[in-house]
Amino acid sequence: MTMRVHLGGHLSWYDPGKRAWLEFAEPGPIALLELVRRLGVPPAEIAVATVNRRAVDLETAVAGDEDTVEFFTAVGGG
Amino acid sequence: MRYGYSGKILRVDLATHRVWTETLSEEFYRLYPGGKALAAAILLKELAPGVDPLGPGNILILANGLLTGAPFSTATRFSAVARSPLTGGFGESEAGGFWGPELKLAGWEAIVMTGRSAEPVYLWIRDDQVEIRDARHLWRHDPEEAQAVIRQETGEKLARVLQIGLGAENLVRYGCMTNELRHFNGRSGMGAVMGSKHVKAVAVRGSGRYLDAAAEAPPLGDLGRRLAKAVKEHPSSWDLQVRGTPGLTAGLDAAGILPTRNFRQGSFEGVDGLRWETYEKELLSGRRSCFACAVRCKREVKVDDRYEVSDSYGGPEYETIAGFGSNCGVDDLQAVAKANELCNRYTMDSISASSAISFAMECFEHGLIGPRDTGGLDLRFGNAEAMVACVEMIARREHIGDLLAEGARRAAEAIGGDAPLFAMHVKGQELPMHDPRGKVGVGLGYAINEAGADHLTAVHDPMLANPESLGFKGAQPLGITEALPPRELSARKAANYARMENWNSFERAIGLCFFGPTPRSFIPVDDVLTAVTAASGWEVSAEELLRIGERATNLARLFNVREGFTRGDDTLPERLFQPLENGALAGASIPREEFEQAMTALYQLKGWDPLTTVPTRERLAELELEWAADLVGVPRGQ
Repeated sequence: MTMRVHLGGHLSWYDPGKRAWLEFAEPGPIALLELVRRLGVPPAEIAVATVNRRAVDLETAVAGDEDTVEFFTAVGGG
Repeated sequence: MRYGYSGKILRVDLATHRVWTETLSEEFYRLYPGGKALAAAILLKELAPGVDPLGPGNILILANGLLTGAPFSTATRFSAVARSPLTGGFGESEAGGFWGPELKLAGWEAIVMTGRSAEPVYLWIRDDQVEIRDARHLWRHDPEEAQAVIRQETGEKLARVLQIGLGAENLVRYGCMTNELRHFNGRSGMGAVMGSKHVKAVAVRGSGRYLDAAAEAPPLGDLGRRLAKAVKEHPSSWDLQVRGTPGLTAGLDAAGILPTRNFRQGSFEGVDGLRWETYEKELLSGRRSCFACAVRCKREVKVDDRYEVSDSYGGPEYETIAGFGSNCGVDDLQAVAKANELCNRYTMDSISASSAISFAMECFEHGLIGPRDTGGLDLRFGNAEAMVACVEMIARREHIGDLLAEGARRAAEAIGGDAPLFAMHVKGQELPMHDPRGKVGVGLGYAINEAGADHLTAVHDPMLANPESLGFKGAQPLGITEALPPRELSARKAANYARMENWNSFERAIGLCFFGPTPRSFIPVDDVLTAVTAASGWEVSAEELLRIGERATNLARLFNVREGFTRGDDTLPERLFQPLENGALAGASIPREEFEQAMTALYQLKGWDPLTTVPTRERLAELELEWAADLVGVPRGQ
């Protein structure tokens, strides 16, 4: 019962281990905003959030066990 | 006293093989401090209207910026400018790598090539010594081989070689140039112009030191050391170092704006085959940089599996991954890497080549072309082998490749029927892999840019959408005051676009990479000011730098006006006004009326007549461009 979390683009810079993928055992239902707070990622740097590949509202979405959550930055060109 | 630049332009008449030197005044250079700005001024002054872009009358300009070759990260860029064979308008393309800095260290700000050589030649430049050498034995040879021969013949193992391959030699209209085999002036067909002049290569070796010519060397040295450290301390530049642009693919798919199947869709079911994790596992063999750059955003690849991919020509960037991947319906990253290698080997712009093939796939699926046209290829979306084979056909101008080598617009006109609806271009230049339906300011840029659709004319809307973000805060010193949603299409969005376009145009003039300065990346505005002042001795403000960019854009606009371009050319492909078929933005389109209103606002902000797009005399006078107004015949009292 694990949740997989992806910190896309430069979001993984904020993880102390610079990891792009993290796993949490039995996190229970958790608001995405609370999740990014725990991860130390500034919400202002997140442009897109998905739960199980579906785009969700970062402000209101909740994820739980066995979900895959992905956060991505704004893409400014390149 | 002249600092930071030599003022020397190398003039080359290819018809007579005569070379001479021209020296620029400081007054002139401060208005046009290299790159796009300098080249646009020369092109507008010297090129007669209506000249065949692939005829001997075109002028090819290779121009460094003031900061090209300065010893700090991202100061590597040079511009290639000519009348574009793809659009018939102002053509420009920038590249990093090592060639521009080497030309600077040899003492040259620019090379201006006129005429056409009777036989293939290459230029050999060692400081102030210039030779035009026979290149008949190099013509139709791959760049890797040609580079080795040139280095052997010149006795310079470190000669930097800018050159073309088979595609540009065959006048593929989006033929590009490569230096060090891995860095490209990709867009606008500048390699085709070089091919039309029978110039295989320009090799250069310089013995100068940038700091010896700078007004104040210590601040530049200090800046170089600070920025080398800062790369890892800023999230954006750190990410560019770790993943480079291939790291963008999954995020754009999640946002619903990953161009898929010729821009019909915004999400690709096969994206897992294209995302960074797959790239790292299946392709990645190393990382490289440009001259003196600590960002190191270039990926190296090598494959010996489903495809054999050489490690000599660099790895695919995001544009190529989306272009040959999702936009062709292909989920095999090895096939994408092979198509990338062939484009690079044959020096063809991978954005235009992939878009032309995606266009052909849609034509094939609609029965507008068939196996007899394609040499038997089943050229449907998702057919990776056919896609790779089609790249070869374009370079060799065989079967359908001969038509696709003309670009999607000309190919569509030749095929007829509904084909023009499938040609995703602006002014004849194919769209990059950023869908404006999710970031509408990019659409304003695609539409208004003088060289046609280009994704690097300004930072993209999402980076200025959140007032607390690094991107927005970085843009504030440039006059950005309002954070706007990516899909807001308004006069306010036009104002943000215009401001950022001036900044990016300045970067193209001065020789800085898009991945250096804020807001896209890690170099703050103050450090850019420090660099310009330390190099040149000029006390400059951010406003003066923005004006340099605006001046360059106005010159490009005047060039297009003189060539007959109108407001009708500043538009988007019809498909972008239609809804996306899938993904997070399914159903989203660009609202036509709001788009036209925003374009009108943008012209007004720029001081251009919204009906004709001609810059007003007043604005041109403010930019010290009265000479250009007189040259083009801009009416008085507009």
